Amino acid sequence: MRLLKFVLGLGLAALLHFAGERLFPHFSQAVDLFLLVAALEARHGSPVSGMFAGLAAGLLADGLSGGPYGLAGFADTAVGFGIARAAQQLVVQRTTGLAAVFAAGAAAQQAILAALALAFRDHAELPDPLWLLVKVGTTAALGLAWTSSANAIASRLRFRRANRATKIQLPG
Amino acid sequence: MSPRRVRLLFVALLVGQLFLVAGQEPDRGSAGSLLEGLTLRTLGPLARLVNAGSEGFASAREGLRLRGDLASENRDLKREVLELRRRELRMAGLEEEIDGLSKTIDFSRRQATELRIAEVVHADFSSWLRSLILYVGTGAAHVNQPVLSDDGLVGRVIRVSGAYAKVQLLTDRAASSGVQLERSRRQGVVRGSSPGELLLDFIPRQAEVEVGESVLTAGIDGVYPRGIRVGTVVSVEPGNEVFHRIVVRPAVDFSRLSFVYLLEGEAVPRELATEEEHASP
Repeated sequence: MRLLKFVLGLGLAALLHFAGERLFPHFSQAVDLFLLVAALEARHGSPVSGMFAGLAAGLLADGLSGGPYGLAGFADTAVGFGIARAAQQLVVQRTTGLAAVFAAGAAAQQAILAALALAFRDHAELPDPLWLLVKVGTTAALGLAWTSSANAIASRLRFRRANRATKIQLPG
Repeated sequence: MSPRRVRLLFVALLVGQLFLVAGQEPDRGSAGSLLEGLTLRTLGPLARLVNAGSEGFASAREGLRLRGDLASENRDLKREVLELRRRELRMAGLEEEIDGLSKTIDFSRRQATELRIAEVVHADFSSWLRSLILYVGTGAAHVNQPVLSDDGLVGRVIRVSGAYAKVQLLTDRAASSGVQLERSRRQGVVRGSSPGELLLDFIPRQAEVEVGESVLTAGIDGVYPRGIRVGTVVSVEPGNEVFHRIVVRPAVDFSRLSFVYLLEGEAVPRELATEEEHASP
């Protein structure tokens, strides 16, 4: 079920990415939806699924970029693993902590991408610091928004189920 | 799975990907082609779907807005078609005349190249890696095929997978092309620079270069044929003791590309390219 959700999430991320690029030319500089999907999966705390989620999301992002294939795959694998390990060790419930996890993931991804680009490309260009900050901010905000709304929906469903259970009357 | 095995798996994945990346440089060889091709085939139709939806919505909105003007626009277009037909006839006459003159001086003209239209389904021109994904249809593209727009040179095909092709834009940092200045005919190499700009290298300091001068492909790099518009010189500064530092603005606005043309035919005949590869010093 979680795998299906992840695959659907990647598909939705790709569709939103293409639509975003059509509407706003700097979309890919401002948001990385593939990383967001990987980070959301990694947050469940399993390093294996975290790293494979990062790998899949990164390789999809690589397919859309003009750079050597595997750069984003490498970065997102590391980020997915890192977030899963962090989720294993820390119980992050507060909004600020949650936002920090997503922001740190995005910042780490950009740092790894920049290091790889410097190592593997002759005329590497570092990402614009302003867009880097924007990407970190949007990843944190979107991650937080998704998690909060998912939690709200889940608790409402739990409440409805519990409410229905109490209403069942035994005959006699 | 034990934590030690998980760590080993993690390291193996990272090392594997490092090999994948390293195996592609500097000429983007085949290391990533299978996976990359698969990704391109998976994401290409999605991109095309979004593209078609957005185009359809935009044209429907435009159609509603322009409904009143369509009749007059149709009249203008018919007049324009007639004028273009007249010009085409005149050009055909001129071409025949040039052919005749060329034969008389025993000058064999290059075969005219054909253009094939391709749809841009995704553009990643704003990040530090710049590329386009094209839907090329049934006739497959090939690696290193030049890509043009109405305004000039766009880049070259770097990966083909089924009906989709990935194009490295001219403004990509790893892209370069042999060019010449239109007025002085000085040849140099243009390469991708900061977003939206190109740097023209190897033009000697003694060469006179004017701001506003056009830059065209020189046909010396084995990829692009001669005479395609690349851009315009926007600044000329003394770079070092030998060469100018020339900044060129691309002729093409990459953010407005919906359709591009694939240039059929090879800049260097295949037999020559093969001979060159096998030639020993």
